[in-house]
Amino acid sequence: MTPAAPAFRLAADPTVRVVVANLGLACCSLEVDVAIQRGLLVPDEDGAGAAHCVLLVSGTVTDVLAPAVVRHYEALPGHVSVMSFGACASTGGPYWDAPTVTQGVDRLVPVSVYVPGCPPRPEALVAGLLALTAEVSA
Amino acid sequence: MSHNDEIPAAAHGYIALTPAACTSCMLCVRECPSWCITLESHAVQTSEPGARRPTTVSVLDAFTIDFGLCMFCGICVEVCPFDALEWTPRFDYAASDRSGLVQAIDQLSGSGDQR
Repeated sequence: MTPAAPAFRLAADPTVRVVVANLGLACCSLEVDVAIQRGLLVPDEDGAGAAHCVLLVSGTVTDVLAPAVVRHYEALPGHVSVMSFGACASTGGPYWDAPTVTQGVDRLVPVSVYVPGCPPRPEALVAGLLALTAEVSA
Repeated sequence: MSHNDEIPAAAHGYIALTPAACTSCMLCVRECPSWCITLESHAVQTSEPGARRPTTVSVLDAFTIDFGLCMFCGICVEVCPFDALEWTPRFDYAASDRSGLVQAIDQLSGSGDQR
């Protein structure tokens, strides 16, 4: 399974180029689409070789979906940073005590940045990507 | 980027605490649907000259909001009888580790300056 991962530039800092593998599992993923529609994330046609590859996990990770998340992570080539976007991806959120919900995607794969919110604003996605790329570059 | 002019001031971005206004009544802790607030306090007996009996007041020791769990519903803000909790539009507090999302009094009360 090789997920299609489009490349983007950040409107806030066009020098930052990221390949974003968008793993939208629930409502938080709508904010990712809003970030693109509002031009905060600018599609980067020839940025496929960007240094930073981000697996963006947004939404509730159920135990049924957990193996698929791990497969998605392992299928991405090179160094992959995982962004946990929103309360559900970070901890299970309001479903933290549900027996069928994984209490945070960090139980499955290493997470580089946690973006708080329920959902986080599109601007928070950009702030999280900036924090992540600054950390990877450092 | 710390602030975007398009974001309304009433946006549910971050919950700030005014420690001096908090009476440790625990209403926010009990009403929170996500169980993301913790509060620790201790009682101090005070006796003013001429008072008929000593009074007991609570002193706030610790207060945390786990923004990894928070569903940003605002029930804590609504239920606080003394407006010790309020919304701020802040959004740029992503953390590199899970514990960074658990914010304590110094962070919660300083947020007004950081937005």
